Amino acid sequence: MKIARFLFRGSLFAYTALFFAFLYIPLALIAVYSFNSNPVNMMTWTGFTTEWYAQVLGFKTTVSENALYIESTDQLVQAVWNSLIIASSTTAISTVLGTAVAIALYRFAFFGKRFYRTVMFMPMLMPDIVLGIALLIFFVNSGIALGLWTIIIGQCTFLISYVFIVVSARLAGMDRTLENASADLGANEWVTFRKVVFPQLLPGIVGGALLAFIISMDDLVITYFIAGVDVTTLPMFIFAMLRRGIKPEINAIAVMMLSFSFIVASLGLYLRSRQK
Amino acid sequence: MASDLSPASRRRMQLALLLTPVSLFFAVFFLGPLAIMIATSFLAPGLYGGVEWVFYPHNYGRILGFADPAFEDFDPVYISIFLRSLKIAAFTVIATLLVCYPAAFCIARLSERSKNFCLFLITLPFFASLIVRLFIWVLILRQTGIVNEMLLATGVIDRPLELIYTDGAIVLGMVYIFIPFMFMPVYASVEKLDWTLVRASLDLGAGPIRTFLRIILPLTSPGIAGGAIIVFIPALGNFVVPAVLGGAKVMMLGNLIEQQFLSARNWPFGSALAMMVMSVMLVMLFVYVIATGRRGADVTN
Repeated sequence: MKIARFLFRGSLFAYTALFFAFLYIPLALIAVYSFNSNPVNMMTWTGFTTEWYAQVLGFKTTVSENALYIESTDQLVQAVWNSLIIASSTTAISTVLGTAVAIALYRFAFFGKRFYRTVMFMPMLMPDIVLGIALLIFFVNSGIALGLWTIIIGQCTFLISYVFIVVSARLAGMDRTLENASADLGANEWVTFRKVVFPQLLPGIVGGALLAFIISMDDLVITYFIAGVDVTTLPMFIFAMLRRGIKPEINAIAVMMLSFSFIVASLGLYLRSRQK
Repeated sequence: MASDLSPASRRRMQLALLLTPVSLFFAVFFLGPLAIMIATSFLAPGLYGGVEWVFYPHNYGRILGFADPAFEDFDPVYISIFLRSLKIAAFTVIATLLVCYPAAFCIARLSERSKNFCLFLITLPFFASLIVRLFIWVLILRQTGIVNEMLLATGVIDRPLELIYTDGAIVLGMVYIFIPFMFMPVYASVEKLDWTLVRASLDLGAGPIRTFLRIILPLTSPGIAGGAIIVFIPALGNFVVPAVLGGAKVMMLGNLIEQQFLSARNWPFGSALAMMVMSVMLVMLFVYVIATGRRGADVTN
């Protein structure tokens, strides 16, 4: 019995190790092969190079002087810029609006509260392709030209929900006695909000904003439908590249994107764990 | 804000201030577009894209194979794509569950610190770019990919295997991106599992298999059901995974919808297909709410 149990435990551990290997070995592979100098087959190792990174960052490299090489760095830079502009705008809008709803639903009792809650959850549950085409039909029918603005509006519809959920979770864990104490000590509502509620709420707001930023940077499906023909974001650029044919510097782009989101996400998760 | 207002009306004003912008935003850019999409699914497609404003239920008939009887014969192509998408989504759910369930048990029994670290490692990929995570699998699976190169080099095979552009590749890609979605709800119910019940069952002579089937599985089923739903819904309408790992051969509902909007320009039909995805989602949520509601009632009884 004891041996059977030991074996069972052991195999469960081995299974879990495999589980993490499955999650992280692909990521490790791409990190390693982003330094592979083979320009033809990215997965056959021919030597170490940092040329692809230099290439992506716009430095002169031996690859870019090769006549066969097609320059696409400008498009890439443009895509990164678009993504950053969109993500900053959507983060600002959705953080303000999402926080406002969360506070309203937390502090006030009113008719239709359940309806609001349901509607706030809907964009997250809905398959993104449905939201994408609904927005496309709407924008085209109302004569709004597709472009940066439609992407920003479209992304906000579901980012507000994410911010709402993160901020609501923070509000639910807050200590209401402090508010009462502040009121008892003679502070008016506005001062109480500014000095007591808001500082407690801030980690939730920052967390929601970080989440919104990351998801906005990464959104492909909804953006894909409402971007129109002129605007390309970073995920769209990579998606198009995957459909046309893969070039070696995509590894370097991928590694930089992964590092960026891992840093932001770790920061967010770290902040959250410290606040507990 | 004027201070001579009564507290009640001041609160009303605060509430209005907080809610009006979001209400307007959601009414115009969320509920409005959904309503227009639903309406579009009942309109006739125009000759050159666009729609004609006549009631036209045949978009739905077409999905089932029976389109406008005046123009088209019975054609089950769309229903077969629909069924195939259901099949791929179901396989994804099963595979994700098989991957996550045992790991959840292992992690739930670790020390607090390693537990938190493991959870961190599992949530982290969720924040990484989805398209990048899929693209890695292209590099691994394609003809000149790492698996084929390694197998060729070691002489296990003499011709590259066809790994990419298959249903299996799609399921693999989906499992990879949906693991955090399945793991979290499953883990939540595994962690709450009352091990004294398991021990009691074993002490009373039930074998490990029976204990698993009669005690562990039912007690963790809410997490399994929750995970299944939040994996199934995005898997069903997904078009990025089949577009990247399925190639041109494998078509799922998501690709079909994309095609109707971006190349075939049959928006009403595309809307009807999207409504199918929505209705599957609503049915699943409904069943989930009913099932968990009843279980809650059982517990209180």
